[in-house]
Amino acid sequence: MPTYELALMLRAMPKPELKTTLTRISHAIFDRGGIIRNIENLGFRPMPYKTTAHGLVHKEANYFVFKIDTPTKAVADLKEEYRRDVDVVRQRVFLAQEPSKNDCTLEEELLPPAYREDVQKMIDVGKTQVNRFTYKFKYNSGLDYYPFQK
Amino acid sequence: MSLIKTVLTRYVLPTSYRATAARFSSTDAKITTSNDEPVEMDNPYKKERRQCILCKLNITPDYKNYRLLSQFQSPYTGRIYGRHITGLCKSKQELVENEIRKAQNCAYMPYYYKDKVFLKDPKLFDPENPVRAHRF
Ligand SMILES: [Zn+2]
Repeated sequence: MPTYELALMLRAMPKPELKTTLTRISHAIFDRGGIIRNIENLGFRPMPYKTTAHGLVHKEANYFVFKIDTPTKAVADLKEEYRRDVDVVRQRVFLAQEPSKNDCTLEEELLPPAYREDVQKMIDVGKTQVNRFTYKFKYNSGLDYYPFQK
Repeated sequence: MSLIKTVLTRYVLPTSYRATAARFSSTDAKITTSNDEPVEMDNPYKKERRQCILCKLNITPDYKNYRLLSQFQSPYTGRIYGRHITGLCKSKQELVENEIRKAQNCAYMPYYYKDKVFLKDPKLFDPENPVRAHRF
């Protein structure tokens, strides 16, 4: 089961109601054989742009991020269920990113162009192409007439 | 007879020279063991390897950390600054751009302006003085 991050925006509502909504959301995950790794509350704050959901315009939202492990096939089902939920203003699912360890290549990128690997590769590719500035049509093409307009 | 003499001198003398040369080289080997010889070392003038600010501080940009991401956004238009301004390496710049796009999609960050709460955040770079020249 891959790890997903479920970013949910819930409408403005009193705390007990929010609690029931969160339990409803998490039970939907458990019913589909998923587990919750952790729940992050990013707080109640004004949205940067207003959003219409279920016939209402929302300018503020409760931001939550669920880190969940679910079967891949259950994700579409979960999204469909939350789309029908009137308390969910907006929802996004992302694959949780692994902490990647790669070295900084800034030093190579700051070299003069002729020393950069990608530029050298481009020059090599260019050498295999026909140079359209120096290309000259050869008349021994087997045709007894000039094929292009003069 | 004289011819034989010259041939002899020509062929015998070099061998004697060789012998003396070998002797000299053996004495040279003794000299090199002294501690006053040139030392094998790295180039002392070699500059330190430059790193971008995110790699140096070992930060992985994340869409939930929208305060950090908003520093890579223009306060006037919300446009994501390019690599020639931010001075990031290719992989980190791509990651920052992707995470900003995610954060904007999740309504953590606005598209067309920078959140006014973050306007006084410290500047990581100066858009007026880019690392490489502007395209325009
Ligand atoms: Zn880097």
